[in-house]
Amino acid sequence: MAYGTKGRILRIDLTQESITIESFDEKFYRLYPGGKALAGYLLLRELPPGTDALAPENLLVFANGLLTGAPISASTRFTVAARSPLTGAYGESEAGGFWGPELKMAGYEAIVVRGRAKQPVYISIHDDKVELRDARELWGREPEEVQDSIRHELGDKRVRILQIGIGGENLVRYAALTNELRHFNGRCGMGAVMGSKNLKAIAVRGTGRYLDSAHDAQPIADLGRTLGKRVKEHPQSWDLQVKGTPALVGAFNAAGFLPTRNFRQGVFEGADNLKWESYETELLTARGTCYACAVRCKREVRVDDRYQVSDAYGGPEYETVEGFGGYCGVDDLQAVAKANELCNRYTLDTISTSVTIAFAMECFEHGLIGLKETGGLDLRFGNAAAMLAAVELIARREGIGNLLAEGSKRAAQAIGGDAHLFAMQVKGQELPMHDPRGKVGVGLGYAIGEHGADHLYSIHDTLLANPDSIGFKGASPLGVEALPAQQLGSAKARNYAILENWCSFGQVVGLCYFGPAPRSFTQIEEVLTAVRAATGWDLSLEDLLQIGERATNLARAFNILNGFSRKEDSLPERLFQPLENGPMAGTLISKPEFERTMDELYRLKGWDPQTTVPTRARLRALDIEWVAELLEPVVAQRATQGTCASAAGARAA
Amino acid sequence: MELHLGSYLSWYLPDQPSSLAIHLDSPIALRELVERLKLPPAEIAIAAVNGILVSLQDAQVSDGDRVELHPPNGGG
Ligand code: SF4
Repeated sequence: MAYGTKGRILRIDLTQESITIESFDEKFYRLYPGGKALAGYLLLRELPPGTDALAPENLLVFANGLLTGAPISASTRFTVAARSPLTGAYGESEAGGFWGPELKMAGYEAIVVRGRAKQPVYISIHDDKVELRDARELWGREPEEVQDSIRHELGDKRVRILQIGIGGENLVRYAALTNELRHFNGRCGMGAVMGSKNLKAIAVRGTGRYLDSAHDAQPIADLGRTLGKRVKEHPQSWDLQVKGTPALVGAFNAAGFLPTRNFRQGVFEGADNLKWESYETELLTARGTCYACAVRCKREVRVDDRYQVSDAYGGPEYETVEGFGGYCGVDDLQAVAKANELCNRYTLDTISTSVTIAFAMECFEHGLIGLKETGGLDLRFGNAAAMLAAVELIARREGIGNLLAEGSKRAAQAIGGDAHLFAMQVKGQELPMHDPRGKVGVGLGYAIGEHGADHLYSIHDTLLANPDSIGFKGASPLGVEALPAQQLGSAKARNYAILENWCSFGQVVGLCYFGPAPRSFTQIEEVLTAVRAATGWDLSLEDLLQIGERATNLARAFNILNGFSRKEDSLPERLFQPLENGPMAGTLISKPEFERTMDELYRLKGWDPQTTVPTRARLRALDIEWVAELLEPVVAQRATQGTCASAAGARAA
Repeated sequence: MELHLGSYLSWYLPDQPSSLAIHLDSPIALRELVERLKLPPAEIAIAAVNGILVSLQDAQVSDGDRVELHPPNGGG
């Protein structure tokens, strides 16, 4: 058996009410060492293309990485994956917190759930004891209550609970999952998949220790101590702890690419009210953390003023501050905190929720929807009360909320006219709060990313612009080049490809984005040390990058089998148009240059630029030639039909 | 003048302030101010004076200005 894992996958069929445990060997784990690699493998192997994302047949995978739960900072993440009801593509979302490490302690690398329970259930795991329990009383109840009830029922205050709220129950296509009420698998609608299975929660208690399964515990324990001490001595981790991600509002606003009013503008006149200084005085009560992490970048909040904001659900991160802030034209941080609380209470992805509401605001201002459709809501940019009402309606799928719960792409199709121009999405998933006109590599990620627009596929260009900066120096073992943030071209494609593999590797092994260089304070060699110590494998940095690349190729293959092609690797038209205000007014992305850079990116990845199908040679080099066997008949068939890019039927989620 | 230090730029100063009030008798080069404060120029990606983006190399600052400096920021 491999080190760094117990080599066990828990399989639960909710229709059959069956629970089985499967083992894998070291050879398998070397190729798929957890997280998105393991999830991608399982989905590609086991889920027939075209499966309805909300049908019982969809597979819901919860996968730890080989470092999840290692006692070092920022090593806490687990992946939830399934075919996404939002995009119809490979869907995944990572979260930190405490649940993944607890699952590791219970002795499982992954849980694979299929089927649909006859009535609401939750899964209880206590080491080897696994059972399905009645959750009828919990359905419709809020996460805080559900957590208390399950802990009470199991007689164990330390049980860690991953669950969905009413957003997931009501199949909002971008519903999230929450663990410990304040850590979220936000993206891709994994909460809706869980809701479609009548699965309310997974409660886990494990009594193992990570280091017991490690090949060599000492270097990991040493690294844990070193990083714990370094947090305050390193500018990037210090910043995450002291100012947190909300510090980005001020920086992006000053630079002129703060996503404002649905990506029309780059400067928000009310940004001062949203900056971290205001956050400190108006919202913050304490800093929070994830399992064994000394960074403590999470925020605890409470408000008892213009709005009542509960302290049960954690505070907003940058994405949420800006999403419900300048992006919706709202300059009241307390209203933003309330929107965050509602999303967390109902388990809605704050990015997709805020971007979909801003989409509706623009439709409203253009007269594409009116008071009749909104049920009397004056859904204009800047109307905080209407924004909060919209969140409530989405979670309950009432009134206009029922349409917006479908996500901006489907809502635009239903509204018709020019509405599609206001839907800021890729593959159906809404854009995060980073404007590619200010950092074009982020746009490459939005376009080519397997699960739709996401800001964590790669490292943002700004960190690599100056060769003397700590960001660039941290990345130097990867062999990247210092390049201006707004420069496209083949060198940028190369940087992107390398850094995408590095970030993908992190998502495989369970690292938080705020751990490793160049984003943060754990040096690349230290990550390598941890992986070697955990597994006993004599790996090089090249090997780590290959692990990341392999995982991306599995997800890409899944998408190709589900009808995706180059056409879906695109950006919203608005990003090829000029920003309206601020120091970057007039700045746009050149479409021809963007497409040329994408061509180069496909070439570097070893993918066909039209179909995006990975070549057999590249798959062989990645040790997954079996994937070519899956792809080639489908590709050949589409080529004969001349429909390579239009498997529309298969794409409908 | 009022100097705002974004994100981790505060870390480089004693007591790690996020803003400072600085009295200037006469205008000086922004570059010189940065040197005086011992801020590493390589970590300054964005400089704005009174809301206008400026180049760290060329800009002058005077008493009464509002100066903002930010390091290169990543995602998250
Ligand atoms: S850096 Fe922040 S988000 Fe990441 S594991 Fe640590 S506390 Fe959690």
